[in-house]
Amino acid sequence: MLYKNYGKNGRNLMTLCLISMLAATAFSSEQENSPCDGEATGGELRRVAIIALLFLFSSKVLAMDLETDYEVAHVAEFISSHQFTRVALQFPDELLKDSMRVVKALRQELNSSVKLYVMADTTYGSCCVDEVGAAHVNAECVIHYGHTCLSPTSKLPAMFIFGKGSINTSNCARNLLNYGLKSGKPLLVLFGLEYAHAIPEIENALACHAPSVCGGISMLEHLYADVSCSVMIPCETCKRGVGNECLAEETSQHYNIGGLSWRLPQGRKMEDYLLLWIGLENPAFANVVLTFNSCEIVRYDPTEDCLMTDLSQQKKILRRRYYLVEKAKDANMIGILVGTLGAAGYLHMIHRMRELITKAGKKSYTFVMGRPNPAKLANFPECDVFVNVSCAQTALLDSKEFLAPIITPFEAMLALDRGSQWTGAYVVEFQDLIGSTPQRTEQSEEARFSFLQGAYVEDLDLQDNHEPEKDEILALVNTTEKALQVRDEYRQSVMKSVAKSGAEYFASRSYHGLDINSTSALPGEFLTGRSGKASGYKDEKTEQ
Amino acid sequence: MVKFTADELRKIMDYKHNIRNMSVIAHVDHGKSTLTDSLVAAAGIIAQEVAGDVRMTDTRADEAERGITIKSTGISLYYEMTDEALKSYKGERQGNEYLINLIDSPGHVDFSSEVTAALRITDGALVVVDCVEGVCVQTETVLRQALGERIRPVLTVNKMDRCFLELQVDGEEAYQTFQRVIENANVIMATYEDPLLGDVQVYPEKGTVAFSAGLHGWAFTLTNFAKMYASKFGVDESKMMERLWGENFFDPATKKWTSKNTGSPTCKRGFVQFCYEPIKQIINTCMNDQKDKLWPMLQKLGVTMKSDEKELMGKALMKRVMQTWLPASSALLEMMIFHLPSPATAQKYRVENLYEGPLDDAYANAIRNCDPEGPLMLYVSKMIPASDKGRFFAFGRVFSGKVSTGLKVRIMGPNYVPGEKKDLYVKSVQRTVIWMGKKQETVEDVPCGNTVAMVGLDQFITKNATLTNEKEVDAHPIRAMKFSVSPVVRVAVQCKVASDLPKLVEGLKRLAKSDPMVVCTIEESGEHIVAGAGELHLEICLKDLQEDFMGGAEIIKSDPVVSFRETVLERSSRTVMSKSPNKHNRLYMEARPLEEGLAEAIDDGRIGPRDDPKVRSKILSEEFGWDKELAKKIWCFGPETTGPNMVVDMCKGVQYLNEIKDSVVAGFQWASKEGPLAEENMRGICFEVCDVVLHADAIHRGGGQVIPTARRVVYASHLTAKPRLLEPVYLVEIQAPEQALGGIYSVLNQKRGHVFEEMQRPGTPLYNIKAYLPVIESFGFSSTLRAATSGQAFPQCVFDHWDMMSSDPLEAGSQAATLVAEIRKRKGLKEQITPLSEYEDKL
Repeated sequence: MLYKNYGKNGRNLMTLCLISMLAATAFSSEQENSPCDGEATGGELRRVAIIALLFLFSSKVLAMDLETDYEVAHVAEFISSHQFTRVALQFPDELLKDSMRVVKALRQELNSSVKLYVMADTTYGSCCVDEVGAAHVNAECVIHYGHTCLSPTSKLPAMFIFGKGSINTSNCARNLLNYGLKSGKPLLVLFGLEYAHAIPEIENALACHAPSVCGGISMLEHLYADVSCSVMIPCETCKRGVGNECLAEETSQHYNIGGLSWRLPQGRKMEDYLLLWIGLENPAFANVVLTFNSCEIVRYDPTEDCLMTDLSQQKKILRRRYYLVEKAKDANMIGILVGTLGAAGYLHMIHRMRELITKAGKKSYTFVMGRPNPAKLANFPECDVFVNVSCAQTALLDSKEFLAPIITPFEAMLALDRGSQWTGAYVVEFQDLIGSTPQRTEQSEEARFSFLQGAYVEDLDLQDNHEPEKDEILALVNTTEKALQVRDEYRQSVMKSVAKSGAEYFASRSYHGLDINSTSALPGEFLTGRSGKASGYKDEKTEQ
Repeated sequence: MVKFTADELRKIMDYKHNIRNMSVIAHVDHGKSTLTDSLVAAAGIIAQEVAGDVRMTDTRADEAERGITIKSTGISLYYEMTDEALKSYKGERQGNEYLINLIDSPGHVDFSSEVTAALRITDGALVVVDCVEGVCVQTETVLRQALGERIRPVLTVNKMDRCFLELQVDGEEAYQTFQRVIENANVIMATYEDPLLGDVQVYPEKGTVAFSAGLHGWAFTLTNFAKMYASKFGVDESKMMERLWGENFFDPATKKWTSKNTGSPTCKRGFVQFCYEPIKQIINTCMNDQKDKLWPMLQKLGVTMKSDEKELMGKALMKRVMQTWLPASSALLEMMIFHLPSPATAQKYRVENLYEGPLDDAYANAIRNCDPEGPLMLYVSKMIPASDKGRFFAFGRVFSGKVSTGLKVRIMGPNYVPGEKKDLYVKSVQRTVIWMGKKQETVEDVPCGNTVAMVGLDQFITKNATLTNEKEVDAHPIRAMKFSVSPVVRVAVQCKVASDLPKLVEGLKRLAKSDPMVVCTIEESGEHIVAGAGELHLEICLKDLQEDFMGGAEIIKSDPVVSFRETVLERSSRTVMSKSPNKHNRLYMEARPLEEGLAEAIDDGRIGPRDDPKVRSKILSEEFGWDKELAKKIWCFGPETTGPNMVVDMCKGVQYLNEIKDSVVAGFQWASKEGPLAEENMRGICFEVCDVVLHADAIHRGGGQVIPTARRVVYASHLTAKPRLLEPVYLVEIQAPEQALGGIYSVLNQKRGHVFEEMQRPGTPLYNIKAYLPVIESFGFSSTLRAATSGQAFPQCVFDHWDMMSSDPLEAGSQAATLVAEIRKRKGLKEQITPLSEYEDKL
């Protein structure tokens, strides 16, 4: 990947290596007067420095490209008009190589009092604004480059530069038109944000193609989504419109997903439209498919330059999510993963989740561990399921590698709120859940049917709730006692399903840590340990 | 029909010695329901006000259409014995009135879970055997089940009319046939004999075998005839009965009894002479309309006919005459009353089978004594859909105490563990109901020894449960039923209209409740799965689901899906190693197949995680040749901690090994549930942990590092040990005449089945064929078979074992590889099996 990128810039690998080494050795001494104006956060300084050095040598062939793609003038104007003096520039990994040139270009446009900082390697997804990172340098605003989920920020104003993906507009328009005519449904065009720039062009192309093709018999109806905002200024009073729910006014319905927004004319439903997605198959697209799962959706792939109509794989995701909801219903212990520290309302959501889980008679634990991976999560085998509170585009984590499934807050609400039903409606953005009150059907006393076990089961704590615990201390003793009994009976197995809390789970494990009351009080024999390194110790014979 | 009010019926229910709870069991199409009908017609209890317009046999429309019973139905019969008849009855009794609660059960093997549910709440069984077809596979299965539950059987040789009308066999030949049928049944019963139940074999001369013609509504036991002849010969009844069966011959010429055929043409076996021939004579006279001969004969027998009946001709006349002469109800009911135990008797020895708790506590004693004043012990064996859509009656048997309307009961579900609160509810019974024909009558209470239906508990009982009084917190539940079939055939269902999903979910819940066997689950891919015992069973379930439980909303069902198992053929070709994500820990493992029979022993629960390690190591070393020390080093079983795979520690002197044990176990549980080939369960594999290298710091060898590694190393060792698929195989039994054999063989060949037994039924033109047939090939098998044999062959399939598929799933293009690819596609996995290199690491 790296090689390819740099190759494009006319550099060969040898040069790159040389420069990297130079940079690495030179770095420590040059930290104070580093050749760039920006400062990177934390451990990323070194990487930034390497790239900066690299670009000192590089020619300015791509300057034009830079100007349009990164919208330098636009950004500069935004910064100066708001009179920001400390600005953080957030780049995703794949654009990091251009960061220094962007900084240089911006420098030229801005006056010297403005300080620019380059941020890289976010703790969570690179699609969200890294507000915590920006706070490290007391930045007043964040300029976010590249792919974004447009999750609202909680404190800092942010500006988003989507970049411009290359697309063959006329081809795209023709494809859309052909498909649209075949289906006979009105079209709703949605797109990946990086193709927002090409939409007016496609619109034009479609408009001029359309009469010639359909011969004036029936004019195809199209609707285009708009990019809701490329600048985001958080304020306490204004609440965002609730995602895919229609607003109060009757005349038109307003929809909003992943930064796109549109209105449907009166009397139309989403199901009436044929959804056209221009863009790559990425989480943004997956979210659209999940949210509008009852609509017909086709995707135009700009890199392949063709229309993808087979979306069975995408549709399967929804069914899989349904399974995960059913699985979550059976969980006794639920981990809440803090998947964002930036998106507005995340704290509220975590509290809400905690409340929900407790109410459902289950135990919750909250984890802050950055981007989750299988090894991190497997450290908590006691959790039967994890709820990931994060932005919409990083929320859907589904991999066989994880020991326990990861679900979204919406799914958690479905699973844990007795009486709520899976109707097919799906909400990906947790912000949209904050306003919604769960529609409570009357709580029936019936035991819950678990589809995983194929039988009726009762959640353990729900029954205990009837009798208030009289004595906290005694209760603790009782539970421990019970846990110990369980352990005695089934020494051989980890009784995952029985444990109701982390303590009980621990009690049922066969290993409880060092045994202090060991019988032999004598000091152990002195032994020579292994030597060598982890990939193969000295006493191990190498295979092959 | 006996017209009764609920109060009158309720009164008899208190006489615990005068109650008989019994089920009618048999192979499919041996005439259970027809026989039951003739009993019901004579002695069925119906509510007084509806008498006349009730059809007792009215059941589900599809039952009538297919001519088979699908659900077991309970019916109460009333019978009053005469003092004279009861003279020889030795047991306890209260008056001459008897209440017989009879449950007619389905004979098709797909519905044998219904039989299991019926057996639990009865004490005796009427085994019906077709006199021509003899003892069939399902007869054997249900008999075995019945004896396992300590149910005392009596036998009736049915379809006697076939002997007289269809086959026209002579007396001696018929006797030989009957004798063989009885012998065959006795052989089975003797195999499952149990000291507490005593001798359960049946003997015609003791009156425990009846001969019946369900279709024509007549039946007799040797008692009937013995009574008739005893005075004539001047011997007592029991002596006469002995003479009427077995090697006892009578020569009317010499008027002498001999124990051998004297060879004289008039010398005939007692049974033939005194039972078979008179019946034959009557039937023949009736069929030939020789009324002038008939009336004197009937007069001699003491049979009087009504004048309008005398007008009947031919078959109708014969039927009427036989019904009047030898009514089925009295013969069979008397046999039941005499030879089947009352609840009071039966519960004395059944308590051991029933009660899970200590056999000397108050509850065990109450059950043992069938004590109406004792604590309530009630077992709900099935849920019956009520006319009120979506609601169910909880149907069961009161073993002790009384259950009454409004009583607060403790409901202990199948997962209840004494002392815990899991699967436990305290709710009140809204109504207690008894059936009077098709009509339900609410009664104040129902005492022990009776069956009862309860309203208002259906939300807390899935399929079965034990009920007791609210205060009886020490009571243990009644042991769960053990089914002889398992749900191996599965289909995925989805609704046609996506928004019907809530209806489907609701429907599946109810379906799960309505049938003791069906299992409704969900696949990893999010598909709803309905699993049943066979194709027919599933078909009926889906029909119920759509029509009754979903209000007709349309569903789409997939083709039947069979679950496979993943196993290994031999030991791993080398010790494989996987590194943890941080590369600091290494696990070395080998996989090998478990010894033959060991997986089955684990399935049966003979070996399991909860065993005493000493007992376990004894079994393992003696039966399976394990090293005694090694047997103590089993870490766990899996999947679900009880499955037929295990992890064994073979390491020597590894530090911190005990620390990672739980993590390895967790990884193994995970991996054994989803094997590397097609994410099917593993079966019959022993994973040996050969060596472990761990980081010295505890923080670097935590669960996060070891669990995923354990999973990978399990997969790697599996893939290096010649992985194979196991497919489920049915045991098929087919009964057909000789000319159909060719067709049967060709269909079986075509379906990868193989015949391992072919036997002619002595005395009949029928052949009995036993074969193994892969479950996956069984779909449409019975219809193909019927077509190929012009409807003469009818198969019965029961899951038998797992069979290894010989082809290599890793070899592209092989049969197993195609299967694996199909499963993976259905589950939405990557088409290719993840290669070994993903799981195995190199140093």
